[in-house]
Amino acid sequence: MQTPKRTAQTSGSTLHTPNGDVIFDSEGFLLRPEEWSETLARLLAAEAGLETLTNRHWEVLHALRTFYFSRGKAPTGAELKAATGLGLLEIKALFPGGLKFGARRIAGIPNPRGCL
Amino acid sequence: MKRVHLTINGLKKEFVVARDRRLLELLREDLRLTGAKQSCDRKGQCGACTVIVDGKATRSCLARVATLDGAEIITVEGLGTPENPHFVQEAFVLAGAIQCGFCTPGMIMTAKALLDRNPTPGEADIREAFKRQLCRCTGYRKIVEAVHLAGAFLRAERRPEDLKPDLSRGLIGVSMIRPSAYAKACGSAQFTADIPLQEAVEIAVVRSPHNSALIEGIDFAAALKMPGVLGVMTARDIAGTNRVRAVVPDQPVLCRRRIRVMGDPVAVVAAQSTALALAAAEKVRVQYKPLPEVKDPFAAMQPGAPIVHDDRVDTNVFLDQPLKRGDVDRAFAEADVVVEADFETQIVHQAPLEPEHCIAFFEDEDQDEPKLVVTGRSINIHPHADQLQEALGYDNLVVREAFSGGQFGIKLTITSEALTAAAALHFKRPVRYLPSLKESMQMTPKRHPFHMKTALAARRDGTLLGLKWDAVVENGAYTFYGSTVCNRALWMLTGAYHIPNLAARVRLVYTNNIWGSAARGAGPPQANFALESLIGMLAEKLGLDPLEIRRKNSLKVGQPLSTGKIVDEWFNDGCLDALAPFYRKALQEAATAGRGGRIRRGVGIGAAAFGIGSINDISNAEVELMPDGGVTVYGSMADPGEGTDTMVVQLAATFMGVAPDKVRLCLRDSELTPFSGSAAGSRQTFMSGGAVELACQKLKAAMAAAGARTAAELAAAGKPLRYLGTKQLPKSAPLDPTTGQGGNFDTWVHGVQMAEVAVDTQSGEVTVLRMTAVEDPGTIVNPQAVEGQIEGGVDMGIGMALREIYEHGKTTDWKTFKFPTIRTMPEIRIKTLETPRKRGPLGAAGVGEFQMVATLPAVTAAIHNACGRWITALPATPERVLAALKE
Repeated sequence: MQTPKRTAQTSGSTLHTPNGDVIFDSEGFLLRPEEWSETLARLLAAEAGLETLTNRHWEVLHALRTFYFSRGKAPTGAELKAATGLGLLEIKALFPGGLKFGARRIAGIPNPRGCL
Repeated sequence: MKRVHLTINGLKKEFVVARDRRLLELLREDLRLTGAKQSCDRKGQCGACTVIVDGKATRSCLARVATLDGAEIITVEGLGTPENPHFVQEAFVLAGAIQCGFCTPGMIMTAKALLDRNPTPGEADIREAFKRQLCRCTGYRKIVEAVHLAGAFLRAERRPEDLKPDLSRGLIGVSMIRPSAYAKACGSAQFTADIPLQEAVEIAVVRSPHNSALIEGIDFAAALKMPGVLGVMTARDIAGTNRVRAVVPDQPVLCRRRIRVMGDPVAVVAAQSTALALAAAEKVRVQYKPLPEVKDPFAAMQPGAPIVHDDRVDTNVFLDQPLKRGDVDRAFAEADVVVEADFETQIVHQAPLEPEHCIAFFEDEDQDEPKLVVTGRSINIHPHADQLQEALGYDNLVVREAFSGGQFGIKLTITSEALTAAAALHFKRPVRYLPSLKESMQMTPKRHPFHMKTALAARRDGTLLGLKWDAVVENGAYTFYGSTVCNRALWMLTGAYHIPNLAARVRLVYTNNIWGSAARGAGPPQANFALESLIGMLAEKLGLDPLEIRRKNSLKVGQPLSTGKIVDEWFNDGCLDALAPFYRKALQEAATAGRGGRIRRGVGIGAAAFGIGSINDISNAEVELMPDGGVTVYGSMADPGEGTDTMVVQLAATFMGVAPDKVRLCLRDSELTPFSGSAAGSRQTFMSGGAVELACQKLKAAMAAAGARTAAELAAAGKPLRYLGTKQLPKSAPLDPTTGQGGNFDTWVHGVQMAEVAVDTQSGEVTVLRMTAVEDPGTIVNPQAVEGQIEGGVDMGIGMALREIYEHGKTTDWKTFKFPTIRTMPEIRIKTLETPRKRGPLGAAGVGEFQMVATLPAVTAAIHNACGRWITALPATPERVLAALKE
């Protein structure tokens, strides 16, 4: 798979994929979570140093997304444990960057932003 | 020590106290009567601590207990309870005199003492009795009304039950009593410092006396030997990034090496009490190497200037954003008339009364990572939890909002929360941080000062052709929402008007000064002050009516905003029409009062259009059907005083067709709520009210599909009881980095204000006699809450226009800040229009920040009308007015 080009901007970056432009904030989090796909997740995982996403990774990623779309926020550690049955430290070990910069970023969960 | 006997709220008690023990400390700490508040560092400046001692309103922060033997003391808790309130408490609730509620107990006790000795006080009596009571939310008008109302109750002329709003005919447009009002009136609403925290340690922070320096060593051995000290924490003890981020992570939680502004935190001392921690902090020896500092944004842009963030970047210019539209050079070449002026606005403290109190503690300690709870008065709980997780390297962290003693933008950013949470993690103890007002001022962002070079071109008939606007904005040492504030100024650059040709630029520049961030309006107040003043200058130059030139240039549906977005609704003209009769009459009255003599009367107007719902904004709300047929609404919708609670209840009850007392709220916990965005940008009604509407629609659809009328029936049908509504604004482009063209706000609030002033030409003193505010915020949910926002915003605008200024290191309390008091309160007339907005819940847009955007230019235009001088640098102090008169 050819790596899409990423353009840096003042307030973030845009990834130019064959399916269209995807906008990220300044920390590399998706601005609009509905633009996420498993293909995009693999790209983000590769950028984070994860060459392969195992079933356990996918379980966490899908749990994050299901929670986000049903509850309107990222789960707390306890909520993610309950949703996956995995320990918090176990989940952290799965993703370089831990919960936030690893799992949440790859799952396409946006950063909560201060709104002005 | 001294033994004293006191009767407190009818109970006789004996105390043995140190000779300097203050009554406020005895009430709050020994008796846990926390209705009386502390704001002004026990200087007697704010009156939040007022109680009644032997029949007199007394500032308990100044009263020494040792001198009170035999005294009879009444606190707000001794008057009534939410279930059985005293008539003065009822009056404050019914008059809408309670917003954040921090000043309320002191206000109520002052009112009671006044009414006890004078059951029929006039306005002069009230102004005299309340002259040392500060309120930042209300502009004092409704407090005066509350005292009059309480007097009417006392004299049996009116009864509280006759004034309770009729909720039987619908809830929209009804001044329903806020759900939190009685708790605030009776002293049972708990602000952060009121929450008992067992086994807590208290912290004090060692802060830099330098604006620019390197830390070469920290020696805290002596501090560790001080009594009651648990330990000392430095940057090395923080596991995460140690950086607080809003837009960029440029502020350390604790400075490791570099100091960028006086007050930067260097170390934290934990001890058994704040007093012991402060004493130990004095013993911490920090070795600094002073570095060159830059305190002026223009100097900071010069080659060779010291670079404030030299570890990250090689320039002090954080943002350089142009905005270009049309052909401004041609517009100016073809114009019949051009007016030019340079404008300056000052640094202003948002001035919430409550200091930056915070607590942090662990809950559910059996987890992998015990849950760390951080409680303060954040209006941005989800981003703050996220930012704290990042800064401290700790994921299982939640943020809760206690009752909030005002904020006005200040709490969009993390202030004391990071240090408190870091200390709890490091010391593994519950931590309480109760900084003083002086320290609170030092650690919080302020309103950015703008330096604007401007020019406006027009035809002879007043048609606007082009605007040049070049702004240098002092960022201070850190960024937070500085770039957002600059973008907001560009988004709203053309105000209420159509200006086809634009050449604008804004540069946001680091200095070694206090940093800026959100402050009521956040950018547009500064930019609109310049624009409206230019329009006034243009009207003067062309001999046109200031109202008519505004009407002539009003933006029309189908025309573009500054960033090119075309508007599909715009309601400026109706506001101008509504003001016109007031304006004509005021001009006549001012003319009758005379133009000569020492005191000169003047009338001025200022208009504004204020955007709500910024690009890509999102808000979520959940609504859950409850067993009793009511609903619970979940959302991170902070209520630091504006009335979010009543807005949500009135909307949810209307959408669901239930009584308002069947609507419960869960709005202040990042763990329990979906992300609804922040209580900023005047967006709560439009965005979060919209999310509540969508959630209610989903719940009702599910009930209809299941044929269920109750929670039990819905559950029996196998359906969830809780539904998420998401209001997501359409995808919109950010500002183009070279043209500044792109998206803009989704809806707008409109208005125009008129100031009537008296200028003393010998002293330069300006007195605002009356303000008339016409505002169209769309459908009004709660009229009393809207009036309160307008009155408070106008008062804040007058303060910024005439008096308030923050100088880092010099402004240390409410007196040096020149906090507006009841003595400077003008008459305020309000006229609201309610043109429903296409995309607002039930047609509502919002209110909150708009007011002061129009107030600033209205006041300076009135000064010009009085004495023929334009004040272009705020505040319009007597010295500046006199200097202008001498020109």
